[in-house]
Amino acid sequence: MKVDVFKVTGENCITLEDGHKIFDMIHPELSAGRVVELDFENVKIFASPFFNSAIGRLLKDFKSEDLNRLLKITNLTPTGMSVLKRVIENAKEYYSNPEMRKAVDDVLLEQSQNL
Amino acid sequence: MVTLNIPTINDDPLDFDKLFALWNQANDDFLDVNVNFSRCYFLRQNAVAFLGGLAHLIQSRYGTVTFNWNSLQDRIRTNLEQNGFMAIFGHAGGPWTGNSIPYREDAIEDKDNLIDYLKTKWLGRGWVHVSDRLRNEIVGRVWEIYANAFEHGESAIGIFSCGQHYPAHHELKLTVVDFGVGIPSNVRLFFRDDPRSRFLSAASCLKWAFESGTTTKPNGTSRGMGLGFCENKQGQT
Repeated sequence: MKVDVFKVTGENCITLEDGHKIFDMIHPELSAGRVVELDFENVKIFASPFFNSAIGRLLKDFKSEDLNRLLKITNLTPTGMSVLKRVIENAKEYYSNPEMRKAVDDVLLEQSQNL
Repeated sequence: MVTLNIPTINDDPLDFDKLFALWNQANDDFLDVNVNFSRCYFLRQNAVAFLGGLAHLIQSRYGTVTFNWNSLQDRIRTNLEQNGFMAIFGHAGGPWTGNSIPYREDAIEDKDNLIDYLKTKWLGRGWVHVSDRLRNEIVGRVWEIYANAFEHGESAIGIFSCGQHYPAHHELKLTVVDFGVGIPSNVRLFFRDDPRSRFLSAASCLKWAFESGTTTKPNGTSRGMGLGFCENKQGQT
């Protein structure tokens, strides 16, 4: 399946809601093992809420190697790519390390005790 | 009747204390507030956005706000007419195009309208020369601030923005204000199961919030990029 992202979101891929729309379109296809292409032609502005809800949370259900095989990203600007990369790195960490939140919690409390 | 005497407000840390002092004065229900500018000789865009939000906050708490426009110094009157603040609060005159980036109020997240504001009314006035790519990147980063305010701020009265170009200082400013629960409150709520959480200082809560990868949103979606993005790109927030 090929998704023309511009037709769904317009030239701004920045909101959670638009990310949800893309997620709902591609999740069933990926679950069935079918290749999905997200074509970002004509999309100009990117922000993390969009990628978090469209792609980041796919890491909850799919291994990154499976996503690399099944999900193709095309015509994404360098800026969009840098946002996407950070979102994916963050999502990998989040879903692979259930203790992360506790670790952050400990850091925070340590900070507060040192103040 | 409470009289808010607006002082001269710049954007140094002490000026933000002045804004919080005004908020403290008006932080109650059923207040009738008179806003007086006679002691104000300079008003930065941060104060304009803040005052607009404060007026709506007072009104949302069953109070009334009366701006004493006659107390304005001429220069500040011109600025408040130009950026549309006075027109929004019922005074004839303005806005017009000048060195102001219009005062605006956003009750809901209208992405296309806000992006247009950032692209055309803030960055698109010829004050800064950037490539389309850099402009789009800056707009995307600033959007992270708006998105964070809309999603986490729980600001019932919305988000308030105002900007200003200061040609003599080569500065292009934009202020985004919400009147929500605040980052420290969200962080403490997030850690509420830990009895130590109520001892967390605002400073450590803010520090935690600006760490990339942290989020107060519940399980299900990895989050927590937005504020980290802002800090990393701009050097300061």
